[in-house]
Amino acid sequence: MAKVTKEEVYDAIRTVIDPEVGFNVVDLGLIYDVDIDDKNSVHVKMTLSTRGCPLHQMMQEWVKEAVEKIPAVKDVVVEIVWDPPWNISMASENVKKALGV
Amino acid sequence: MFNISKDFAPPFKLIAPFFISGAIFYILSSLALLFFKIDFDYMQLNIAGWIHLFLLGFVMTIIFGAMAQLVPVILETGHFSVDFYYIIFPLLLIGTILMVFGFWFNPILLSFGGILVLSSMLIFATEVFLTIKKSSLKTFSTKAIKVSNIFLLIGILIGFLISLTISGFLGFDIESLIKAHIYAVVGGYIMITIMGITLILLPMFGLAHGFDEKPINKAMNIMIISIVFVIIGSFLDLKILMELGYIGSFIAVIFYLYQIYLIQKVRMRKESDIWSKSMVVAFVSLIVSAILGFFYLLSTDFRSLLYGSIWFLFIGFFAFLINGHLYKIIPFLVWFHRYSELVGKEKVPMLKDMYPKKEADFEFYFSLFGLIVAGIGLLTKEETLFKAGVSFLFIGSIFLGTSIKWMLNYGKNRS
Repeated sequence: MAKVTKEEVYDAIRTVIDPEVGFNVVDLGLIYDVDIDDKNSVHVKMTLSTRGCPLHQMMQEWVKEAVEKIPAVKDVVVEIVWDPPWNISMASENVKKALGV
Repeated sequence: MFNISKDFAPPFKLIAPFFISGAIFYILSSLALLFFKIDFDYMQLNIAGWIHLFLLGFVMTIIFGAMAQLVPVILETGHFSVDFYYIIFPLLLIGTILMVFGFWFNPILLSFGGILVLSSMLIFATEVFLTIKKSSLKTFSTKAIKVSNIFLLIGILIGFLISLTISGFLGFDIESLIKAHIYAVVGGYIMITIMGITLILLPMFGLAHGFDEKPINKAMNIMIISIVFVIIGSFLDLKILMELGYIGSFIAVIFYLYQIYLIQKVRMRKESDIWSKSMVVAFVSLIVSAILGFFYLLSTDFRSLLYGSIWFLFIGFFAFLINGHLYKIIPFLVWFHRYSELVGKEKVPMLKDMYPKKEADFEFYFSLFGLIVAGIGLLTKEETLFKAGVSFLFIGSIFLGTSIKWMLNYGKNRS
């Protein structure tokens, strides 16, 4: 069984776009950590830019579905955390530049 | 960990009528202004009719529709029963129409319209309180929702007493009741609801984080005390208490504006879209309204200052704040309804592409020009200026209507 890499998971999650801001959730810095065990079970720890985001559950589902598309992945758990709270310094340079930060 | 389930989001067909009806009432209230002479008094029944057309038909209808969507977001729990909104809408719609006709044509209709509006608001407030009971959150916005709904109940009960008095069923002193009614509804419900919602929406749309929230807490606490002072003062005929309430509400507005400044300072998204332009006009109008109101308090015989203050509060602050947010909320609702299931399966549009830029700009500039020209007309008592401004405002409202139609129809052929 081929071992799933973190890069593969991040690339898969990059297909998930925040429709309000127009950037993918990885570049926005919303993905805090990706953990892959020996059985290729993936645990994604992510946050959202706003605690009251109405897309909360949908974002979680989109990330889960995106990772599940990687053929070798066994199962996926996406956990939303609020600590540390997201801020713009967590976003990629491209996002910061586009936002004029 | 909590989940805002997709099931908590109210169906599109439930919320859309609130926005459609609110926009129609906005167009009608802009049109109605063309038929008013500038030498009016706020105690006239036809003016009361216009105020109810604007506040009940436009402001409250849109707020109720928006709350159907926002209550789960703010409280982080699902509605107690979102189906209540299917009853709230027709009661509010028919009640508003009857009340406006009552003020304009036949006072007997007021009590019937009043019963319907009272019923719709009782159902609305009950649903909100039952939803609050499900939530363990204790944030500023949850407190704002609680407090504003208590004032809504107080305000609407006083309003119902007024409608029964005007219809001839009761014999209360209307003038003292009216002041309590206005403060409870406009200050207690609308302003505190706006404080609660903007603290969520402005940072969400502007990507603002890490700001101090003390000013908004002070603003709400001072506003609560001020409104209680005005209500008690008007019932007991204690002028000093009422004046303390007026002064307090100005101080509350200053703290609120300072909070907006703090959010604006740390905002990451700097693009100048229709939403951000509308927010600038809304908050500048609130400043203008507060300044005019303050000068009116110092010199109570200049009625035009009072009318100017109310004009910039209603048309400048309320209308631009609400209309600006419609360009965010409606595309989101449409996107959620028609595209959310397609994410990851096919290319979906971005929210910023889901409103008509040209129509939105026309709406914005016509309304802005109308706001300023008619506002100057009111302050200088120049009827021609006022009418000219109102004409621009009316054209702006038509563009708002066409924009809303465009947004609601976006991707319609898909569903």
